[in-house]
Amino acid sequence: MLTDLYTQRALIWAFANRDFKTRYRASLLGWGWSLLQPLATLVVFAAVFSMVFRVQAPPLGNGEGTSYAAFLFTGIVTWNLFSSFLNLSMTQLKASGDLLKKVQFPGWAPVLGASIVQLVQVALEIVVLMGLFVWQRNIGWSWILAIPILIGTALFAQGIGLMLAILNARFGDVQYIVAVVLGALYFLTPILYPISMVQGHNVLLSAVVKINPMSWFVQSMHDVMYSLTAPTWWVIPGLLIGGFVTFWIGFAVFNRASEDLGEYL
Amino acid sequence: MSTLGKADLAVSISEVGKRFKRHTDRRGSLKELIVRGRAKNEEDFWAVRDVSIDIPKGSVYGLIGHNGSGKSTLLKMIGGIYRPTTGSITTDGRVAALIELGAGFHPDMSGRENIQLNGSLLGMSRKEINAVTEEIIDFSGLSEFINEPVKHYSSGMYVRLGFAVAVHMKPDVLLVDEVLAVGDEEFQRKCFDHLYALRKAGKTIIVVSHGLGQLEGLCDEVAWLEHGQLQQAGNTTDTIAAYLHRVNRDEAARNPNITATRPEDDRAGNGVVRVTKAEIVSAAGEPINHAETGATFNLRVGFDVSESILGPNLRIALQHDTGPLVSMISNHAVGYDFGTIEGEQLVDVAIEGNPLLPGRYRVHIDVFDYTGSTLLDTWNDAMEFPVRSQSGEIGQGFVQLPARFTRH
Repeated sequence: MLTDLYTQRALIWAFANRDFKTRYRASLLGWGWSLLQPLATLVVFAAVFSMVFRVQAPPLGNGEGTSYAAFLFTGIVTWNLFSSFLNLSMTQLKASGDLLKKVQFPGWAPVLGASIVQLVQVALEIVVLMGLFVWQRNIGWSWILAIPILIGTALFAQGIGLMLAILNARFGDVQYIVAVVLGALYFLTPILYPISMVQGHNVLLSAVVKINPMSWFVQSMHDVMYSLTAPTWWVIPGLLIGGFVTFWIGFAVFNRASEDLGEYL
Repeated sequence: MSTLGKADLAVSISEVGKRFKRHTDRRGSLKELIVRGRAKNEEDFWAVRDVSIDIPKGSVYGLIGHNGSGKSTLLKMIGGIYRPTTGSITTDGRVAALIELGAGFHPDMSGRENIQLNGSLLGMSRKEINAVTEEIIDFSGLSEFINEPVKHYSSGMYVRLGFAVAVHMKPDVLLVDEVLAVGDEEFQRKCFDHLYALRKAGKTIIVVSHGLGQLEGLCDEVAWLEHGQLQQAGNTTDTIAAYLHRVNRDEAARNPNITATRPEDDRAGNGVVRVTKAEIVSAAGEPINHAETGATFNLRVGFDVSESILGPNLRIALQHDTGPLVSMISNHAVGYDFGTIEGEQLVDVAIEGNPLLPGRYRVHIDVFDYTGSTLLDTWNDAMEFPVRSQSGEIGQGFVQLPARFTRH
């Protein structure tokens, strides 16, 4: 797998370059648009959930009270990384169908290229998030741990994205099912609420939240960015390994199932 | 069949078949899978079947056949875009497929940026691309516009850039699918020059084309496919001739033979002679629906003579359908005398080694008396018949004169 990725690096890069250059080429705000959507979500959700539903965020790591907006945005950034990789993988492979009929190249190359460009967006969101925390004087060394967590999240999301992309290429319904499942999963991940709110309330609900892998990624980000603590020692290595294994499986499944890709896309 | 060793082959195609599933319903929905189960409304369709071809290194190899004969599918399998269902294809060296020029160009990116993208798609490394970028721009002749987005390019410019990238990736085997028919005359010539240069450099070129004349000049060998099966392979001239023979025969089966019977009310002259029938027949006297350049055929004319007359003068005018009179054939001119005749007559006029070039020809028939001055009958637009090529060569002008060259 690694040698495949290495030999095709020029192609992956060329696709990334294409997507980067053309993404907002004809728009006025350019990359500003990419921040507008998560910020709008943040404002609406922060208002609704903190004022209407009165959700209480856990205390900030610096011990100076709580910030629901900062808590929420940490979760949204992590979740967006996951969900955007899934959606982009599916649409990107479909969009490459015509090309795959004319030129021989691995179908995962444009998918990975699109994900690389998406990482630029994630980085922008992280910068905004850090700005928010700096403004609240909630800064700590634990932030460094966000890097392995995000790498784990990206690998995990890409592994699932590759599998969904190849499935969606065969069965066009998959993208709609994914949209529904992602919608539900969003609420089963501690993004809008701290995980403590479901623990002890409903055994089934708390079990579902607990098995949901995204809960682990989001919760870890909450720990290191918001609470300024490190999760239990095995969590981050676990997320990295889990992410890598998922990517490896996704890559293998994709390669296996994509042998006649040019014919049915 | 071939005495060449494996090492001398650029491409070895052995018993290759490609099966496509024909979907009778909208494909790729989960509902279809769940409701009907798998493979129920799928029919198999073999686009290519049991094809074995050896293509020697450094040769130019042509693939011919009707639309849907499987030649493009075969080319895509050589290029690795499709996988063979049965059999195997081995290729030696880097393969570049010019299935569609400029595939993957992004309209919003500049020509230069697209060279990068297209080059990587074709399998070049960044270093290789950077090394030839200026050469590509130069070859395409687009240096003025190279930093403009390609959406502002004309289709010709688009193709020029695509061709320039593809040939500069230094392929060992170049696959060309009908792409040479684009671009202006000057660029086409440049492309051909480049193909010849590649061939000289020992590269292998595989061409799919309907331009048989073009192929005849370019190819060392040709394979002819029909319904996915190999009909004949080898010598270019023989294979193209066999293919054209089949095409002509199939068309003969579909098209009625050229024969005209004169309507009763169409009368001219004094009524002593009346031309009644005109047709074209083969050298062997079989009715045919077209004549072929270089092959003897007969113009057959039937006429009635009501009273005994001295040998008349039969004149057959051949007019090209664009207007010009190509030839006036007359029995007096070639020294043939009918003698004294009466009653129903049937005359064959053999056009030896038919010098007429491909096109449509209209036939007018006049009959004069033995002096050649009194018109006895005339039938304008008696019939029209096509002349087709045997070799794919169209030629210029109306006739191929029997010319002989001598060098002093």
